[in-house]
Amino acid sequence: MRRKGKQQQVQALMADYNNQVITCLDAFQNAFVRCCDGFDPQQLAADYQAVHRAEGQADDIRRSLETMMYSKAVFPESRGDILGLIETMDKVPNQAESAVRMVLRQHIELPMDLCGGIIELVNVSTSCVHAMIEGVNQLFDNYLEAASTAGKIDELESEADHLEEDLIDWVFTNDLQDLQKVLLRDLIASVSSVADRAENVGDRIRVMVAKRSI
Amino acid sequence: MSVTEFGSWWPNGAYSVVSLLGGAYLGWALGANDAANAFGTAVGSRIISFRRAAVLCAIALVAGAALQGQGGIRTLSGLTEQTPTTLIIVSISAGITVTLMTLMGFPISTSQAMIGAITGIGLATRNLYLSGLAKVLICWVATPFGAMFFSWIIYFLLRFVFRHGRMSVLTRDKLLWGGLILVGIYGSYALGANNVANATGIYSGLLEGVTDFHLTLIGGGAIALGVLTFSKRVMMSVGTKVMKLDAFNAFVAVASMASTTHIFALIGVPVSTSQAVIGGIIGVGILQDLANLKFGILKSFSAGWLLTPLISLILAAAGYAIFM
Repeated sequence: MRRKGKQQQVQALMADYNNQVITCLDAFQNAFVRCCDGFDPQQLAADYQAVHRAEGQADDIRRSLETMMYSKAVFPESRGDILGLIETMDKVPNQAESAVRMVLRQHIELPMDLCGGIIELVNVSTSCVHAMIEGVNQLFDNYLEAASTAGKIDELESEADHLEEDLIDWVFTNDLQDLQKVLLRDLIASVSSVADRAENVGDRIRVMVAKRSI
Repeated sequence: MSVTEFGSWWPNGAYSVVSLLGGAYLGWALGANDAANAFGTAVGSRIISFRRAAVLCAIALVAGAALQGQGGIRTLSGLTEQTPTTLIIVSISAGITVTLMTLMGFPISTSQAMIGAITGIGLATRNLYLSGLAKVLICWVATPFGAMFFSWIIYFLLRFVFRHGRMSVLTRDKLLWGGLILVGIYGSYALGANNVANATGIYSGLLEGVTDFHLTLIGGGAIALGVLTFSKRVMMSVGTKVMKLDAFNAFVAVASMASTTHIFALIGVPVSTSQAVIGGIIGVGILQDLANLKFGILKSFSAGWLLTPLISLILAAAGYAIFM
């Protein structure tokens, strides 16, 4: 079998990393959907484990990629950009894990009237991450197309911001306990942060393309 | 003067060795300064180590000198007739000019220093072949403009490829940075072919048993020695002097320098690789954003462009007046 070149190895690892991020975000989405069906600590713990496992595996791949970068696998310009990219990407599954952990550890029960909005926010944040993955894949396929995907990430992040504001409004205008209001506000902000982190990756993508534009 | 008469000026051919030392010094200075024009950005950006770049540059340079360096030697030796004393005056004048310009912080051109000194002797002895000098002067003026023209052609060709080719960032960077090493090798080859005459061209036909081919090897060797021993500092600092260069701009600038210098090597006129690379960078600057060009540095280059042959000419003519 023909041995893969270093560039192919980097691209393969990037693809593996992207798959793990997708797995992590899918598990994050599932966790919130099930939370809306009622707070079940055991089920939530299992969902959290799925998110945590995918995040951990993504971390392992990221470390392999970083090691490859430090062993000068690609040209210096690409090296710096990829290191910066995966460092920024790493914050996305971390944030997803943190949001699910918040529900699990703080025993946050989602009010039924809020569930629809929360699920919508989770879906928009997850779509934002999917757009981010599409942009990253384009960097390693046809980088000129990645800039337009960065615009798509911005739009989704903006949508997530609006939803976040609406949900926080709802929380503070409804008859809930003060502690619950604070917990829900933090949870909504945490879910919305997933899209914020994806947007940061979108900015990185935009810079990488702009640096190479002629 | 025949070869025998010339060689007998000093006993046992010792003259040949001493006389060639002046040429070797010029060659060494040329290698130390001009290798950066071919490999500066690549080494400065750490895509290739200095040691590897210097070895590649030295090999390509000697190959260029040996294979295509004789045209320049014929042009330089045909500008005026030399005597043993004028040869030494020319070498010393060019050597002093190069050292002086370096100390003053001007970019040096050994081609201009050498031809300035030869012209000084030619004027002093009223023995200057004006048609040959006119050809050289035209080529000097044409060098930055030629490089600018090439930079535009290469720029648009490459832009088309990168705008219409489907590729990843890694492939794009590999093509440009890897390509920069290849054009660096080509630039080194062109440097050897074009500039070897500056080091040893004036000795053509004047040293017993030394053919033009030998002169290309001696000159090429001296330039290569300059690259290997003293070019690191210049290589590490080049690239941002006139304009900050990314991989694309550096590729265009070095490729246009290499093409221009190579063409002048084929015509047989030694020109300045520094001026060629500056022409290439200005060409890119005009297409992108003139504000990126550091005009202060360009003024210094222009001053060097005028002062180098002038100082060398005055020194050689004064030397002739004193010693003859």
